[in-house]
Amino acid sequence: MKKTLEVINELKLRGIIRDYAIGGAIAALKWIEPFFTRDLDLFIIPEKTVGKEQIVVLSPIYDYLKNKGYDKWTGQWLLIDGIPVEFIPADGVAKEAVENAVETLYEGVPTKVMSAEYLIALFLKASRDKDKIKIRMLLEQARIDKDHLRDILLRHGLWDRFEGSYHE
Amino acid sequence: MVYGIDSRVRTMSDDDLKILTRHNNVVTLREYFEGERETRREQARLPFEEKIRILVTLQMLAVEWGGKKDVIVWEVQALHRNSEGGD
Repeated sequence: MKKTLEVINELKLRGIIRDYAIGGAIAALKWIEPFFTRDLDLFIIPEKTVGKEQIVVLSPIYDYLKNKGYDKWTGQWLLIDGIPVEFIPADGVAKEAVENAVETLYEGVPTKVMSAEYLIALFLKASRDKDKIKIRMLLEQARIDKDHLRDILLRHGLWDRFEGSYHE
Repeated sequence: MVYGIDSRVRTMSDDDLKILTRHNNVVTLREYFEGERETRREQARLPFEEKIRILVTLQMLAVEWGGKKDVIVWEVQALHRNSEGGD
């Protein structure tokens, strides 16, 4: 994991991506008790997009990693130093989550992890069964800034969904 | 059919059921579940690196015990806390 994060950091240092943050289950793991998951979700803000439709092109990332010897795929995951990684372009609330992610260290390597409040927003947006479980765990086990959470959910049109299912 | 203890069907009498736990402590079922919640909160406060090590152990269990051959066990440099000198 340490080496994986070092490789990801290179993408940012070399200007291939503007920024990134760990999201999904591994980000949740930062704030709640350990649980099983398979992959590392990385939300990225690309350095540039293409055309009027602002298409996100991931190939510079894959090309760079391929040159470093990381070209083994399993499903949608690229194996980087033994860890299946998925690159997800960040837009809307996810982009905001990357920009406001918490800077932290993993075995001395700097990285960014989405905050519990933004994770709740993203899990709420997806709302699969496994996302709902994580929302409940975050609400029960993480320190949540409730005003900040409310602000995020209101601005992204998610408050009603939250209030209907989770707000006490 | 209900398997095991389901919070939706628990009644007052279930909550008052007494259990003999470790160190010969007698607790009610309600206290037992409260204790479990507190333990989970404590686990939430573990260092990130420690949680990743636990995750890798869970992935190993999924493969070796659960027979989930498609699970990739992550490569983490130091699986055991003591081998790194702890946190």
